[in-house]
Amino acid sequence: MTSARAWQFGLVAAALVAGGSLAPTRAADLERGKASFDKCAACHGLGGEADLDGPTLKDVMGRQAGSLEGYRYSAAMKRSGVTWTTMTLDAYITDPQEFIKGNRMAFAGIADQAERADLIAYIEQASKAAP
Amino acid sequence: MATRLKEVDVVIVGLGWTGGILASELAQAGMTVVALERGAMRSTNPDFSIPLIRDELRFATRHGLMQNTARDTLTFRNRQSETALPMRQLGSFLPGEGVGGAGVHWNGVTWRWTTIDHAARTHYEQRYGKGFIPPDMAVQDWPMTYAELEPFYDRFERTAGVSGKVGNLRGQPQPGGNVFEAPRDRDYPLPPLQQNYAQELFDNVSREAGYHPFPRPSANASRAYTNPDGSRLGACVYCGHCERFGCEANAKGSPHITVIPLAMARSNFELRTHSWVTKVQLDSTKRRATGVVYTDVTTGEEYEQPASIVALCAYAINNVHLMLLSGIGTPYDATAQRGVIGRNYCYQPGGGGVTLFFEDKIFNPFMATGAFGTTIDDFHANADFDRKLMGGIGGATITVGQSNGRPIGYRPVPAGTPRWGAEWKKATAKWYLRAMNIGVTAGNMPNRYNAYDLDPTYKNVFGQPLLRLTYNFLENDKKVVAYGGQRAAELARRLNPTSMTGPGTLGDYSIVPYQSTHNTGGAVMGASPKDSAVNRYLQSWDVSNVFVVGASAFPHNSAYNPTGPVGALAYWTADAIKNRYRKKPGPLA
Repeated sequence: MTSARAWQFGLVAAALVAGGSLAPTRAADLERGKASFDKCAACHGLGGEADLDGPTLKDVMGRQAGSLEGYRYSAAMKRSGVTWTTMTLDAYITDPQEFIKGNRMAFAGIADQAERADLIAYIEQASKAAP
Repeated sequence: MATRLKEVDVVIVGLGWTGGILASELAQAGMTVVALERGAMRSTNPDFSIPLIRDELRFATRHGLMQNTARDTLTFRNRQSETALPMRQLGSFLPGEGVGGAGVHWNGVTWRWTTIDHAARTHYEQRYGKGFIPPDMAVQDWPMTYAELEPFYDRFERTAGVSGKVGNLRGQPQPGGNVFEAPRDRDYPLPPLQQNYAQELFDNVSREAGYHPFPRPSANASRAYTNPDGSRLGACVYCGHCERFGCEANAKGSPHITVIPLAMARSNFELRTHSWVTKVQLDSTKRRATGVVYTDVTTGEEYEQPASIVALCAYAINNVHLMLLSGIGTPYDATAQRGVIGRNYCYQPGGGGVTLFFEDKIFNPFMATGAFGTTIDDFHANADFDRKLMGGIGGATITVGQSNGRPIGYRPVPAGTPRWGAEWKKATAKWYLRAMNIGVTAGNMPNRYNAYDLDPTYKNVFGQPLLRLTYNFLENDKKVVAYGGQRAAELARRLNPTSMTGPGTLGDYSIVPYQSTHNTGGAVMGASPKDSAVNRYLQSWDVSNVFVVGASAFPHNSAYNPTGPVGALAYWTADAIKNRYRKKPGPLA
């Protein structure tokens, strides 16, 4: 992580913690998360698909952003220094262009915190379960 | 000498919407299918990914995804007394090139045409008497009814992911939708897109005036969507880069993300890109096609692809060109009034719109989609609207949309602003956010002199004569546009703008400024070979194993965009080939 990015991400994380949005007050609804994943599915699969427009999300948790072999990432994504966790995915999906400026994901973001939480819980579960 | 390849069941010329639909339907039915596309392969990633695709200069100004006029174009003249000259740059319309065709860079407006459109001559004669249609206006009925085509309109809407609101559900008017539309068996697959501020203003003011505004049906997905074939669309992000661009978010219904991958998944389908078909080959009787001849434009090598069925699925203009170059059917002669191939060319007059400027309103025009809009159809689909008031045949839709707010192309300024310099700069900065447009789109009726033939002088890169287009706007068009423009101006004045420009009036047609990529006719469908090139299954009357699919089949042009019926007719034709022609080859009508 470059120091500037780390600093910036530190602020985002701090803001999220201060806002309490990462302290789960409800159990994630995986069914809702699955429905929300429709918003991602035009470009992303969870089972290692190589023929979609976006990189597969199989085993995404803990992966270094922009590191998947064989996928052509934007320079912004490769340089981001981000590792995908519940927290970074939440920040990214909130406002993709704000979190990693100049990345190529054509997605406006999800403003609703509960929807993001359900979605990320679903991605985490389904991306691990995939063969 | 051309290399002769292995015979297939079907060869498809051009892989856009119509070619893609035929390819997917016929390959899934088990037929061996080869598609020949003269342009390159295209896919969302990497071809349409951001920031690359947001390059307005490359894609909008320089037509990066479109036909290269240095290789092939057409010649144009307004009237027969003139010498036609080649169109050396695209302008008025933008034919596609490459996998997905113009279906990649369309805006996404998806209408079902009206019951009047499906039976135009019958309707106008019954309602207004035989004398109402001028003798040189070759209006004719479609060879199938709206009701027959309804399931195929529905199929295309589901494939492309159309966002809209039903207005006529099995004959029951549905408030908020287009109450004048032909009856639908069910609602659109997706809810309407969000309206912008200008559309809300127009919705209110046109409702106050007694009209019936509704959200324009759009193949821009209002939310993520999986179509019946399992193709997945993302949600539209309102980025304002539809028309002239590919969609970065897979949110615009396009063949390269729907029907074409379905065909590509089949081992009995093969796509060959950079493959330019120069001719359909006929046997010695001229009643049967044996295949096509094409050139691999990357090597210059020529091939012969034999096939039992030839499907012409190129852009509407190029379908007609290929028929004339191949000698399919009798060429139309406007002077002698003989023949059919080339007749009934129609376009779509715009120009009647008004632009409103407000000191006190901000419209954020960069939040845009190709197709979203609020439309009134009271002067077009509305059969009760008395055409005698307009003094013409057809009608006009009136719409507030916002296809883009891009920095080069979108520069609204009030009348009287200098065309350049410091004053222009000041005005464009001030009014960019503060303008809205009320657009008028008129239908276009055929005229005996508006037609294609082969040019006597100019040739393309293969040495073949260019297609020659003779076309002009006529009295009927001027009346319809003027009437629509007056209604638009009345609505505009109700909004009390600081100033407004327009409505414009129609003069001679110019092929230079962009108007619409809605070129129709030339190989029209009909009930008789006397006045049509293809029958009700878009099958050539003369060469029954040639099908000619696309807007080239329309006998006239509606005030609606063409892609709805283009898609519906492609499914209809595919169905006829699969379920009828295959069992019993030969004329289907």
